Order: sequence, then C-alpha cells, then structure tokens
Amino acid sequence: MSEQESLKRLALISIAVMLILGVASMAVGATLENYRARYLLMLLGGIVVVDSAVYLPIVYARREDPRRIAVPALQSLWISTSMGLGYLVTAPAPYFQLSKALEAFMAVVGAIMLVYGLYSLLVISRRSGVPLAV
Amino acid sequence: MKPPILGAAPQAISVSRQEASAGVDVYGDYATLPVPKSELRSTLNIFMVYMGVLAVIAAIFAGSGLAQMYDPLTTIKVSLAGNALLALFGGLIAYIGGSTRANTYMLLRYPLGRLGAAIGSLIVSGIPLIIWFAVETWLFGMTVNVIYPHHALTSIAAASLWGGLLMMLTAYYGFRAIAVLSYITVPFWYVLVTIGFFAAIDLHGGFNALWKAKPPHPAALSLGITYVFGVYAAGSVITSDVARYGERKWSGAAAWSAHVLIFMTLLLFAGAAMTILTKSPNVIVAIAQIGMGVGALLLAILGQWTTNDNNLWSASLAWINVTGRLTKRQWVLITGVIGTLIAALWGGYYGMSMEPFIKFGVELGNFIPPVGAVLIADYYIVSRILGRRYTFGPGTRYSIANVPGLLAVFLGGAAGWLATHKGLHLPTGVGTIDSIIVAFLLYLALALTLGRAGVRFEIGEWVERPTGF
Repeated sequence: MSEQESLKRLALISIAVMLILGVASMAVGATLENYRARYLLMLLGGIVVVDSAVYLPIVYARREDPRRIAVPALQSLWISTSMGLGYLVTAPAPYFQLSKALEAFMAVVGAIMLVYGLYSLLVISRRSGVPLAV
Repeated sequence: MKPPILGAAPQAISVSRQEASAGVDVYGDYATLPVPKSELRSTLNIFMVYMGVLAVIAAIFAGSGLAQMYDPLTTIKVSLAGNALLALFGGLIAYIGGSTRANTYMLLRYPLGRLGAAIGSLIVSGIPLIIWFAVETWLFGMTVNVIYPHHALTSIAAASLWGGLLMMLTAYYGFRAIAVLSYITVPFWYVLVTIGFFAAIDLHGGFNALWKAKPPHPAALSLGITYVFGVYAAGSVITSDVARYGERKWSGAAAWSAHVLIFMTLLLFAGAAMTILTKSPNVIVAIAQIGMGVGALLLAILGQWTTNDNNLWSASLAWINVTGRLTKRQWVLITGVIGTLIAALWGGYYGMSMEPFIKFGVELGNFIPPVGAVLIADYYIVSRILGRRYTFGPGTRYSIANVPGLLAVFLGGAAGWLATHKGLHLPTGVGTIDSIIVAFLLYLALALTLGRAGVRFEIGEWVERPTGF
C-alpha cells in the first residue's frame, strides 16, 4: 500500500469511527427522558454526525497528493475531536443531572473521540506535512 | 494555530523557514516578506483561523461589560453597530492584505514610513498586547478564584501572579502539548457558549425574564459602540496578517466580515445574557452559577492559554521591530513580567470589577482605529491618485517617516478621546467613528494637497534588505 493510500485509509477510518460514535450518541440521546441530557447528546452527536457525513465523501473523492487528502481530514477530525473534549467536560456538569450510567457512557465516548482523534490528527499532519491549523 | 486574543498578530498559519517569492524568510511566517503562492489557503481555512481568534473567554467577557450598560435589545443593537463597523473597517484592510500578500507591519511602511510603521506597530501591537496579556492573566486569576475560593494562593491577585508567570514560561520554552490541546478546544468553545446561553435561559425564567432586564444606569450608545469596536480594534487593523494567506484577494475580507458580524455579535449577546440572567458580576461567575462545572472553567483557561502566549510573542515581535535590540525570547520575559505585574495589581485593586476592562476597551477603540484609517486612505485613494504602487521585496525604497500619516494617526486618536471623554462631536460624537473619520480625512487632505502641489511630504529614504528589513 502506498503512503498516499495508507494516509487516505487512516483518514477515512478515523472519520467513520467518529460518525459511528456520533450516531450512537444521538440514538442514546433520543431515548432519554431527562430533556437536558437528551438535548446535550443530540447536539454533540449531531455536530459530529453532520461534520463526518459532510467530510467523508470529500476525503473519499480525493485522489491527488497527500496534502489534498489531509486538509479536509484534519478539518473534520478537528471538530469531532473537540466535541470529544466536550463529552468529557459536560458529563460531570451539575446542570445536566446525568445518571451515573449516562455519565460513564459519555466519558467513554468522549475519551475515545479525544484520544483517537488526537492520534489521527497528529499522524495525518506528520505524514502529509500539513500543519494542524488548516 | 490559534491566534491571539482579540488583538495579537496570528501565528496560526505557521510555515517552515524557506525562501519566499523574493528575499529570505529569516524570521518565519513571512514576517517581513510577501506570502508566496504555494502557501495560499482557502477562504474556509482563513475563516477558521479568524474563528480561532474569537474563541477566547474575553469575547464573551466583553458581553458582560455590555450587560452592565444596556438592556438586552440595546445590547444587540450596539453589538451589531460596532461589529458592522469592524466588518467594514477590517474587511477593507483584509482586502489590502489579500491583494499585496503583505502583513500589517509591511503595509504600514507606505502610509507611515519605516519609522512610522514601527510607531504604528507599537500602537497596534506593542503596548496593547502587553495589556491584553494582563487582561487574560487577570481572567485566569479570576477563574481560578471562582473554582477554588478561600485560599491565599487562589486569590485573584495571587493566581494572576503565578498564572502570568506560568503562561510566560510556556511562551518562553514552548510546550507543544498545550498548544495542541488549546487548538482542540476551539470548536467546542462555541458549543459550550451556546449551551451556557440556553442553560441560563432554562434556569432563570426564560426569554421573558431576559427581555425584561434593565441595567440600573444605562450608558450612552456611543460609548458601547466604541467599546465593542475597541475590544477587537487591534484585530481589525491586523486582519491582513491572516488575509494575506487567502487564495483569492477577497478571501480574508469575506471571512473576517462574516465571522465578526455574525459570531462576534452572538458571543457578545450570549455573554451579556448569561450575566444578566444569573445576576453575576461577570460571565465566569455566571458559567459557574449555571452549573456548567469545573471542567468548563478549566476549558476556558486552557483555550486561552496559547492565545496569551501569542500575545506575548506578537508584542515581542513589535518591540524588536521598534528597538532592533534583544531577542524575541528576551522580549517575551520582559513583556511577560510587566503584563503579569499589571494583572496582579489589577486583580488586587479591582477584584472582579468590569470597570477597568470597559475603560481599556474604550481607549483601544479611540487610539487604534486611526492607524487602519490611514492605511485604507493611502491604499485605496492616495496611492492611486499619486500613482504609487504597494510593492515589497529587496531593493524597494520607502520613506523613513510619512508626516501626514503620523499626524493623522495622532490627531485621529485625540479626536476619538475628545469625543468619548469630552462629548465633542467630531463629527458624530462616537469615539471610534470620529477617530476614523478625522484620521482618514486629515490624511487625504494633507497627502493629496501636498502631493499635487509637488511638495515632498515623506522624510528620508530606506532601502529594503534581502531579509525584508
């Protein structure tokens, strides 16, 4: 597999993982009675889903040099990773009155998004030579 | 990259040290050279960089200032008026950057001259950015105090002192981990502000309660417009620093105008609404009171950390440009210590009071805009009429001082100050607008009259070296 194909594969998988986690959040959110928790999960999950759904076909269609693949991938992952941080920050906030189980769910989803997102961002940036701030 | 607070010169678009289209990029980020075509970015990228500039707590904190002056509807009107001015003013300057690929400091060599550009750089960056560093450090101290009250080391003054020194050291040594985390916070910061706004509405009586709120002592509209313009004045004058990377001439202008008109207005209103509804002295206390948790406050600190680092770096660059002495890192220490001491004194004397922040914002609105007004007048009108082109590169000749430009900058600032503090109408009575009008018209009158009469109004000559200096 060429360096370019490997980079594209990593970018696509990373965005797809974010998309799945976003959909899972929205699905869980839709079932909740606590309206604060429901809106929170729908908002964070919704942003990740829209972001990933928009960028996934863009990255998939790019076939030229690694920089052209990396730029949209970094933009998409930047937003998703940031929302991952949001899961971690909002889960323990008193305002939302989340149950322990939901708090744990958000912490796990947030941690995966944050750690995996940061890893993908740094690897894609290093391999393509595109700075993080794109 | 996450550029500086509503102020400093952005370093977000960092590029490797390499040869630019002409000359050698010794200082990095094409600090003294036009940006080559290979480094240009899309309009969306430029927009994201500007959004990064705005993603600092000072933006919603500025909304708290408005909450103490106006009711919510007037807050929206004042914000829109101030931001429309910012969009137009900064947009015109951004277009100059997109057309010439030059940064603010380089552009100012024409309307102010080589020495004048250094003075302009001090007015826009060198001095205000030290104060902005102090402001952000004071906000840090306040946030720490809200999270951990009742301890000597977490009083606002003490936390400002150790927080400022900590931020100065990270700027001095550079910690990539902090920079990456700070960069990650940007998109969520906007979501957090949105959540905070709706949570405040949810907890404190809904929109009805918000619209009914009235401040005890409403301020004049002119003061608010000058204040709104002032908190982002430095940013509006240095829009070309980012816009010069735009792939189209108008990329920066469009991105700047959209982000400031829409998002700055929303942030100001959100900050004001949270402060009004929770009846808090400022938005940091409001976020805590709403129950957004310690994490949200820590995120606020993290988000502005590199912004404050950038404030020091940009201030240092300005001082190097003026003095030509010491290194950037030495200036980081000097400006950092000064800024930290100001923050500690500020925190010790004023505590959480918004008063000094409002005064600071208003003075920025008086004195910084004339620098941009003179640049706009020179690029769009004077240079075209007198047949002068904005060119850069080794061998380019500039004047040492452009006398009408310098006069217009100082008299424009004075007009703004007189309008704000003495109530004079020169001609509008709104400080920031009067400072722009007086500087713009005065420069046009002097430069065109003298230029057409064949009188040389620029003093001395300076030839650009390969390094851009």
